[in-house]
Amino acid sequence: MANYFNTLSLREQLTQLGQAEFLDASAFTDGVEALKGKKIVIVGAGAQGLNQGLNLRDSGLDVSYALRKEAIEQKRDSWKNATDNNFTVGTYEELIPSADLVINLTPDKQHTNVVNAVQPLMKEGATLSYSHGFNIVEEGLQVRKDLTVIMVAPKSPGSEVRAEFLRGFGVPTLIAVHPENDPQGKGWAEAKAYCVGTGGHKAGVLKSSFVAEVKSDLMGEQTILCGLLQTGSILSFDKMVEKGIDAGYASKLVQYGVEVITEALKHGGVSGMLDRLSNPAKVKAFELSEELKDIMRPLFEKHQDDIMSGEFSKTMMEDWANDDVNLLKWRAETGETAFEKTPAGDVQINEQEYFDNYTLMVAFVRAGVELAFEVMVEAGIKPESAYYESLHETPLIANTIARKKLFEMNRVISDTAEYGCYLFDQACKPLLTDFMRTVETDVVGKNFNDGKDGAVDNSKLVSINEKLRNHPVEVVGRELRKAMKAMKTIKTA
Amino acid sequence: MSKPLVHIQDLCVRYGAKTVLQDLAWTYERGTHWAIGGESGSGKTTLARALANQIPYQGSIELNLSSDKSPSVLYVPNWYQFTNLEGDRNFYYQQRYNTHQGRDTRTVAGELAHFAEQENQALAEALPLVQALGFEQQMDSQLIELSSGEHKKLQLVKALWSNPQLLIIDEPYTGLDKASRKSLNDCIDSLAEQGTQVILLTNDTNLPQCINAFAMVQAGQLQEVASPDDFIVAKPRQSRALPEFLKAAPEATSEQIIQLTNIHVRYGDKTVLEDISWTVNRGDKWVIQGANGSGKSTLLSLINGDHPQAYGLDIRLFGNQRGSGESIWDIKQKIGLISPEMHWYFDQTATVWHTVTSGFFDSIGLYTEASFQQKKQVDELLHFFDLYTVKSELLSTLPLGKQRLALLARTVIKNPPLLVLDEPCQGLDQTQTQYFNDVVDELCQHGKTLLYVGHYESQLPKSIDHRLVLEKGKIVKPQQKHILEERV
Repeated sequence: MANYFNTLSLREQLTQLGQAEFLDASAFTDGVEALKGKKIVIVGAGAQGLNQGLNLRDSGLDVSYALRKEAIEQKRDSWKNATDNNFTVGTYEELIPSADLVINLTPDKQHTNVVNAVQPLMKEGATLSYSHGFNIVEEGLQVRKDLTVIMVAPKSPGSEVRAEFLRGFGVPTLIAVHPENDPQGKGWAEAKAYCVGTGGHKAGVLKSSFVAEVKSDLMGEQTILCGLLQTGSILSFDKMVEKGIDAGYASKLVQYGVEVITEALKHGGVSGMLDRLSNPAKVKAFELSEELKDIMRPLFEKHQDDIMSGEFSKTMMEDWANDDVNLLKWRAETGETAFEKTPAGDVQINEQEYFDNYTLMVAFVRAGVELAFEVMVEAGIKPESAYYESLHETPLIANTIARKKLFEMNRVISDTAEYGCYLFDQACKPLLTDFMRTVETDVVGKNFNDGKDGAVDNSKLVSINEKLRNHPVEVVGRELRKAMKAMKTIKTA
Repeated sequence: MSKPLVHIQDLCVRYGAKTVLQDLAWTYERGTHWAIGGESGSGKTTLARALANQIPYQGSIELNLSSDKSPSVLYVPNWYQFTNLEGDRNFYYQQRYNTHQGRDTRTVAGELAHFAEQENQALAEALPLVQALGFEQQMDSQLIELSSGEHKKLQLVKALWSNPQLLIIDEPYTGLDKASRKSLNDCIDSLAEQGTQVILLTNDTNLPQCINAFAMVQAGQLQEVASPDDFIVAKPRQSRALPEFLKAAPEATSEQIIQLTNIHVRYGDKTVLEDISWTVNRGDKWVIQGANGSGKSTLLSLINGDHPQAYGLDIRLFGNQRGSGESIWDIKQKIGLISPEMHWYFDQTATVWHTVTSGFFDSIGLYTEASFQQKKQVDELLHFFDLYTVKSELLSTLPLGKQRLALLARTVIKNPPLLVLDEPCQGLDQTQTQYFNDVVDELCQHGKTLLYVGHYESQLPKSIDHRLVLEKGKIVKPQQKHILEERV
């Protein structure tokens, strides 16, 4: 199989990368009509599979689950999830031939096997849906020409997809139709109906392409979302311990700090996050992040270049073929860091303290979000797509760190994200050695405002505020967040 | 002569501009146990939280407790909270019905073991309390699976088990069935015998025998009274004319509103509902009764569109077979629902106005712009319920009685043909309950069908004309009715 993106002309590459149209609820007035009465078969009943299926059925659609024979015979969790909720469950052979829409919600790595098993069983003219385009774009899997291929990707964990639906809302969702597989021209109508069935249409939908989704998703997860949060967390913890801050306190500040800080990011963007700092701390965070952006820009560009050329996916698939030797080794190493091994101390840290005592993380997040966004847009990805894959997802990943640190983050994210995260982390740490030598505990571990009188230079502050608020990620973010205004707040420890 | 246990002078508590307690004075002598009443919002909870040192106050509170016995003061709030294994509290009210193999919360046994370890308690001492409250079958249940009454019991078990020097329980009887209320009183009596001093915040009159002193909070002060019959709970409400839009008969539906045939609900090996067949005709007014955990809320969830197992069961709602292409929003549009679970997990950022308006869309939180006509209806209804002046306040900051009224307003705002009121008066005092039920009766005059769950026989709407009793997930035959009334 050849990398699909690399088979395209430059013109076609740019067209597909540049697909991004933001749709609000008014674009979904047909509701679930396009799928009404059709047979929907979901492959996989994990968190996404089960919760999306529950939502689709509660929207009046006909949903059943196709599982592998062994999963049924051994009554595995996926079988229990589906049968305990009174769904019809059957083997591929039993259910796929009558399906009008087959939704593949298995892990990325299994896609080639699953699609190869499912495809020959699908009836003429049916539709196959993905929630991630790696299999099509990077592995270059070619789907039978009579089949329609769509993507519906809720930008939240499965449990949230269900919770928000039942509240009467939804989660932001990306939809796409693969241009090579839309023989009847029904792709968009079905993708929209599926999106309505999960509740996604109420929270803002990005009409994108398989190519744009893959190239931006890989970039975001490797750099700002997982890579930089991992690097920043480990370096911050090590610095505090080195400077004599209590290890339990340092562990708690790092574990929960990134969640509290990015909660402000979620509501008010990068400028909203920096507005939580005192004026002198804001100036400091701005200056640190400018420095970080200069240091890390070449690394962000290298990641984007390797993603565009297919170099990244080629290297990773070699590791897949080699029994994940590298992935498993790096995973084990992450489990052994001092931060991972030091439990969070039994100390109370109030919400504002996470900002005042952790200015360095604010600087890391600003630098990472802006860099990832800038580099994606330079590579031909539209600002709307770049926003989702940088700023929007950062709080979601931070939430996994708050739960059980980096090990948990790497367990929850896809293997693809995890692999890219380790690559970034390994390259980024040495790059920041000199920078970290200059860092003192006033920006990590202690209150930056202690012993300062709070004075700042007016013109400097005005100029910083202007730079923050007029950054393109803020301009597009203000528009997109309006549609997500009802986002609920994540409760912190 | 030993000092009094508690001596309070000049206690003042303000929330923003609002004064809740003003120059309150109280001497609590050893050997007395108190019931403190007063109308909803009078400041009972505020007094208790000041005693437990949980809120800032002015004035002096002197506690003369022994230093060698801990905990010294334990305040048990009316509201319970639990978290999942990852420390999150982000639940939705239907979650107990959605089964998923990931075990997200602790089991009851696990929670008790965890508590024992945290508080340095002997696990064996909890078991008699668990048994006394009739809770032992739930030891393997996950917290998320418990009913509201069962959650209350777990909270009480932990409180009694801690054996504090001063135990303050805020609304101890909320959501408990009759037998459990009596058992709780016995448990409190035996704790008092062992030396614990007790304060109960309640307007209830069936109290533990040890309670021998009474007071009520009124106008920011504490007044001693002779007995709980002297508690002034609420001024009788001025009755108002029902808004016109609620006098209109709901849109015509089928003659049979609900038809369940041989329904079974199971979670793994555990049977929650067994062989339920039940028909509700248009205009019927049903009361549904049964002990805590007998399956009442699960039964209602099958009707509300909240239970995934409803698919594949023989259920007809409003004349349509369930699972024949309708969405849960189609069903909810015809139902006005209130339940303790919904209230617990309700949107914490909703104002009273948002709360009521969201009833048009059956959403938890408001995500849709209301029309001019809808907004007008909301205003009319807010006036009717005397909530207009607090319409911009957060629902969660109002006294419980007002919160329930706002949620009742939410259920009727769209004038639905079916009202499902699952313990709507939990935590309300008698006068409030009376008022609430009078309103329900008035609403039901115009062709509505009603399903009502309530534990207090004397506190039901007058319009009730049918009774369904559940015991361990089964419908008890009507001829046994007189026996069962004793138990519920």
